[in-house]
Amino acid sequence: MLKRFVLFLGVLTSMNLAFSATPQELLKAYEAQASKGVSTRGEQFFTNKHGKEWRCASCHDLPPTHDSKHIVTGKVIKPLSPNSNPDRFSDHAKVEKWFKRNCHDVLGRECDAQEKADVLAWLMTVK
Amino acid sequence: MKTNFTLCLAFLLAMPVHAAKLGMPFDAPKSYESECASCHIAYPPALMAQKNWQNIMSGLDKHFGTDASIDANAQSEITQWLVKNAAIKQKYSALAPGNRITKSAWFIREHDEVRADVWKREGVKSAANCLACHADASTGGFSESNIRIPAK
Repeated sequence: MLKRFVLFLGVLTSMNLAFSATPQELLKAYEAQASKGVSTRGEQFFTNKHGKEWRCASCHDLPPTHDSKHIVTGKVIKPLSPNSNPDRFSDHAKVEKWFKRNCHDVLGRECDAQEKADVLAWLMTVK
Repeated sequence: MKTNFTLCLAFLLAMPVHAAKLGMPFDAPKSYESECASCHIAYPPALMAQKNWQNIMSGLDKHFGTDASIDANAQSEITQWLVKNAAIKQKYSALAPGNRITKSAWFIREHDEVRADVWKREGVKSAANCLACHADASTGGFSESNIRIPAK
């Protein structure tokens, strides 16, 4: 019985690890697939256009430390920097979902691990 | 007298429930808020036809110029709920051109007194931004008595 309970706890803990994360953990995971995130490069990436109409800052604003508005719908978007909004970069699946959607909108393709590492490295310094 | 009072009370209690039900159903899946209402308000499903919602949900990777793709579970959960709660009233159930609520005949008629320059104001931005003028839009409230048009 006790064994089962311990097993159950173990499963719960591993589930929790799979879903929740810290910005530091996510950065490490992206860096493991590429090389070290460079925050100055991340800032450039976030600020510039990449061949399409929108840039990251179109909806997230510069610096992304305050509420901003969606460029088309006007809907309020909460701050993207994890220093201003602890909900950001705390859920691996959610982060991947939004990188996929938004990179398609800004670059017309998915972002690679290096681009994600750079942007995240910069966002973690933004205050 | 006491019966009258009880009846009145019951009526008053029932009223807001009824009003809210016309807008946003209470059983919206959590995924509707998290997947759909990040970029725009959670539009009440009763404002558009079943077929419109099915079209929207089957083309999320090209969603009005953006990639709004979501995982398969959320997609089927949200689709089922939208279809179940789609427009029943004749006014809202005609097929909306381009799957846009804002292009439907009823929307255009209801907003025909809004001048072209009002839609372009910074505080409005888009006809899709219901909240700009309808303070209770997120909960499905579009009452005429609760409209405030931004001056800029």
